[in-house]
Amino acid sequence: MKNINLKFIGIACLFLITSIKSYSQISKAEIIATGLTCSMCSNAINKQLKATVGVDSVSTDLNTNTFTVYFKKESKIMPRVLKEGVEKAGFFIGSLVITVPTENLKIEGDKTISLNGSTFVLLNEELKNSNGETKLKVYDKGYVTQKEHKKLLKTFSKTASYPLDNEDDYHIKTVI
Amino acid sequence: MRKFLIAFSFFLIQGISAQELFVVTDPASNVPAGSLGIRLGQSIFKEQMKSGYSYHLMPEVTWGINKNLMVRTSMFVSNRSNQLVTEGASFYTKYRFLSTDDLHSHFRMAAFGRYSFNNADIHQEQIEIMGHNTGFETGIVATQLIKKVAISASVSFEKAFDNKPDYRFPTTQSDNATNYTVSLGRLMYPKKYTNFKQTNINTMLEFVGQTLNENGKSYLDIVPSIQFIVNSQARIDVAYRQELYSSMLRSAPNGFYLNLEYNFFNVSK
Repeated sequence: MKNINLKFIGIACLFLITSIKSYSQISKAEIIATGLTCSMCSNAINKQLKATVGVDSVSTDLNTNTFTVYFKKESKIMPRVLKEGVEKAGFFIGSLVITVPTENLKIEGDKTISLNGSTFVLLNEELKNSNGETKLKVYDKGYVTQKEHKKLLKTFSKTASYPLDNEDDYHIKTVI
Repeated sequence: MRKFLIAFSFFLIQGISAQELFVVTDPASNVPAGSLGIRLGQSIFKEQMKSGYSYHLMPEVTWGINKNLMVRTSMFVSNRSNQLVTEGASFYTKYRFLSTDDLHSHFRMAAFGRYSFNNADIHQEQIEIMGHNTGFETGIVATQLIKKVAISASVSFEKAFDNKPDYRFPTTQSDNATNYTVSLGRLMYPKKYTNFKQTNINTMLEFVGQTLNENGKSYLDIVPSIQFIVNSQARIDVAYRQELYSSMLRSAPNGFYLNLEYNFFNVSK
């Protein structure tokens, strides 16, 4: 009996470890920054993002202030780190779309997904896979413009966790 | 002069994109957190009460403590005693307390304070703690970006003390003043960005005024400038300052500025 228990625990542990290992990472993030017009300002964001632990590379479209961030393997960066980076440079995120391998997105009850200790709450229906990757847009405060956030507070008034602004909870919709 | 001003203002307002890295004023936005900026400011102004030129050298170091707070220290060197002498230094801090940013606009406000000391002789009624007087200045600045045109305005209170150890502030002069500035900026080049190495060219127009609180004497200056941003990291400003109006005694109101600046990003976390 004890043996079986131990085996069971062992298998459970192994399962846990492997599942932690396959804990998904965000493979790409597309950030549109707001309130800047100069390439020196963009460069401040660019350098800040590049200096972030776990970031592999950043490509920038200076005309739209879009920063595409690629991550190192096993990086566990969550959107909060990117938000802090942009704000350190003196600006704000106007839009954030993250790309996550679809296999890592397992919906638990109540339309939530756990990822590296953060909770992602789905605001629209189902996940739509596209080429094994899913694009998710973050709708929380600090990831959309202030004006947009004010409107969204009304739009998502039925989602109890939305107005709480818990920094490790992200409210997302899939993007096609 | 008036025609030139109208033309210049129009030129700025119909612009496609704007800048707020002004030459003689500071916008409400701060430098990036953890960045270090080094600037060598130089100015050469024509003396009004004697022959010759007044040359000032102003090395500055700026550091972004966090996203809302920055500090700056400046040193004042001048040729007033016919050779280059360090006359004083200044400490400046600015705190951004309001930011409402949208995709194509932002409005920001900040409070700032500066303390300077200087040991030079006091030779004018104008109060200028950037290189002339010992004293402090405190105020607020608001910067708005509307349809890609940046407009910044500030109001501040400035008070002068004795220039220790040798020069007392003249009791016949007002030792405090109200300052006000309005700045406009526009990006001229490039029309479309291709990379970080592209040199940006900005033009700016700034108005700087002061009223002495005890006697109401005032001045108003205009400062047009051109700015080059090289490699998205270095900055060269060339500006000309011209007095538009003055009812106070000023020793050298008109002249040129040449600033060289280099920014190191992410010096500290």
